[in-house]
Amino acid sequence: MIQMLNFDQIRKIMEEHAVKVFETMLSMKSSPCAECTFANASERVSSSVGFAGDNVIGVVYLHVSGQFAIRIAAAIFGLASDAVPAQVEANDIVGELGNILAGGLKSHLCDLGFSCAVSTPTIIRGTSFGIESVQGVERMFLAFQADGDCFMIEIHLKTQ
Amino acid sequence: MQTRILSVDDSRTVRLIVGRAFGAYDCKIYEASNGQEGLAVAMREKPDLIVLDVTMPVMDGVTMMVKLREDPALKNIPVVMLTAESSRDNMAQIGKLGARDYLTKPFKEEQIVEKAARIVALQKKR
Repeated sequence: MIQMLNFDQIRKIMEEHAVKVFETMLSMKSSPCAECTFANASERVSSSVGFAGDNVIGVVYLHVSGQFAIRIAAAIFGLASDAVPAQVEANDIVGELGNILAGGLKSHLCDLGFSCAVSTPTIIRGTSFGIESVQGVERMFLAFQADGDCFMIEIHLKTQ
Repeated sequence: MQTRILSVDDSRTVRLIVGRAFGAYDCKIYEASNGQEGLAVAMREKPDLIVLDVTMPVMDGVTMMVKLREDPALKNIPVVMLTAESSRDNMAQIGKLGARDYLTKPFKEEQIVEKAARIVALQKKR
């Protein structure tokens, strides 16, 4: 039986999941905050993971600054930030974090009766880009601060 | 004798974490980035344990599990599945596939070692 989606509940679950992901994978303390801006970032790195089922479709984005992506890669590799080998390493890590975040949302949706499959992650890098949705799609923005940096999770979701 | 572990995940990050988890133990770690590669490595190296991601391109973990179980040479290799999804349906599916155990991402390195130690002998490096 499909239950109605409660977006406040989705927000709460994803906030808890994100904090757990950053703590477990990166040993970084994070917490929800009011907003996250990349205005001063030289580059933004965003992972996207799609999900689709008979009754629900959407995308989960993880947005970080280019600088934070390097810091995250350094945390995973146990290196100093200036010793992180290549851009591709940061891409893989941001992609995997996005994959795990999307997995958390998928678990919640499946348990409510909205079974779906997820895509493999893709990475978008750039200095100035925006993501827009089409009509009928619910958008959620979840901002977090983490040790002086910030990251944002953006969820596009449509039931059908 | 070294314990041979095959790590199958499309994420180099996860393969790094799995490899690093067993760094203190006398283990030989093999890697593959999808199920198709994983089958080839498993056939060649006959690992003692496979740590297998579910969602991968080319060939996913579910398909690789099915093919492992169909091959007499590989069907008895124990598998710990890694998944980013903890839904009831997903857990039930993993159980039906015949995986020895599973671990939900995110996970700490000690968690994968603990799971492995219940299945294979892990000797600390001297």
